[in-house]
Amino acid sequence: MSENRQYIPFYGCMISLKYPQFEAAVRRTAPSLGMELIDIEGFTCCPDPIYFKSSDKMNWLTVAARNLCLAEKRGLDLITLCSGCTATLLETRHLLSSDAGLRSRVNKRLAKIGMTFKGSSRVRHIVTVLRDDVGFERIARTVSRPLENIRVAIHYGCHLLKPSRIMQVDDPDSPTILEQLVNLTGAEAIEHEEKLLCCGKACENPDIPPHMTFDVMRSVDKLNVDCMCLICPTCFDEYDLGQLKLSRLFNTKIEIPVLYYFQLLGLAQGIPPEKLGLSRHKIKATELVEKIGALAAVS
Amino acid sequence: MIRIAFDFKQQLDGTIGGEMHSYCFQCGACVGDCPAARYSERFNPRRILLEAITGHTENLLGDDSVLWECTNCYNCYERCPQDVRPVEVIMALKNICTQRKTSPDKVTHMVDAVARAGCTVMKTSAAQRMREELELPPLPAPGVDDLKKIIEP
Repeated sequence: MSENRQYIPFYGCMISLKYPQFEAAVRRTAPSLGMELIDIEGFTCCPDPIYFKSSDKMNWLTVAARNLCLAEKRGLDLITLCSGCTATLLETRHLLSSDAGLRSRVNKRLAKIGMTFKGSSRVRHIVTVLRDDVGFERIARTVSRPLENIRVAIHYGCHLLKPSRIMQVDDPDSPTILEQLVNLTGAEAIEHEEKLLCCGKACENPDIPPHMTFDVMRSVDKLNVDCMCLICPTCFDEYDLGQLKLSRLFNTKIEIPVLYYFQLLGLAQGIPPEKLGLSRHKIKATELVEKIGALAAVS
Repeated sequence: MIRIAFDFKQQLDGTIGGEMHSYCFQCGACVGDCPAARYSERFNPRRILLEAITGHTENLLGDDSVLWECTNCYNCYERCPQDVRPVEVIMALKNICTQRKTSPDKVTHMVDAVARAGCTVMKTSAAQRMREELELPPLPAPGVDDLKKIIEP
């Protein structure tokens, strides 16, 4: 792909308001990748695939379908930056495209606001756009400051991969997409034992998620990595802020910076760390930034 | 002898995601790879499905139900040889909890937040400032008026 392609970004609540540094990283890395991001008005929460979906699945599908209709009206594919938004919007599109009865129930409600779901726009997680539209070669060409000697532990999270027949991103048992994308930055992707474990954020028993986080972080900590890389803001919650909680709960000291993939790519493209919002993270990436020779310090 | 509670099974069958519950043949493939089962002594998706199959779900539909320990990881959806999609059956049971007003407060809070502001995270001045510091454009207005017309109680 040499010319630019247009996409409608769906940033989602968590990234827009809680972790806008991920949005900044995507907006800053996209131009050189030939991705033109067309912002549109009127999106709401995807809505959330755990609690909102637990309340009433018809409401959940209808609100999600309304978001899909906005993209259809503009005639472009929607790209998602958050795995939760991906889960909601892709599952909705799948169900409404394959179940005519459900589609007509949802469309009856959407008629009240003058909309109809047609299924004409696709929903794609942004890492699949990197692989399938931009292409690995072009991504590699945007790297001006290869992240040499940087060891990166990958964490997939659940909703990028599963349910695989709906997501159709990669093999859910032995995915490689993130390893390949990380290796393009010049860094070395490292597998850890628990790389496919759920972050646990949705579990309502407060005793369980910290143990899950602890197991993941111990598995990463053994490997002498410079950072952890992921693509989901919910996982980020569990592993960035989560490390501070671990130090209190388990009297442990694990401090591994956690980066969203586009922050890592941004560093490799020579974008200054402050433009990628690295200083907002609880676990500071100071050593990583020094190691790659990005001059501006992370405060 | 167990008497099957057909009325409940019919209700579950009519709840989106619950349609396939009767096809569970109790193989337990959903358990082996379940993170909630790995970390919780009381969470067992095969057990939840057994209760769904018989229609005797009283233990699952009250306050403090074990259903809410599900991590929503979708491993069971991948593993199930019968295409039951246990996580979706669990979600359908949660929808029934909400009808019975036994879901955790978080569920109603989340729906209220979306209906009121279109968003699950509050648009605080701190968040807006954080966006400005990162030189991000102002957030576009969400279509809240539409939501009032399409979300049904």
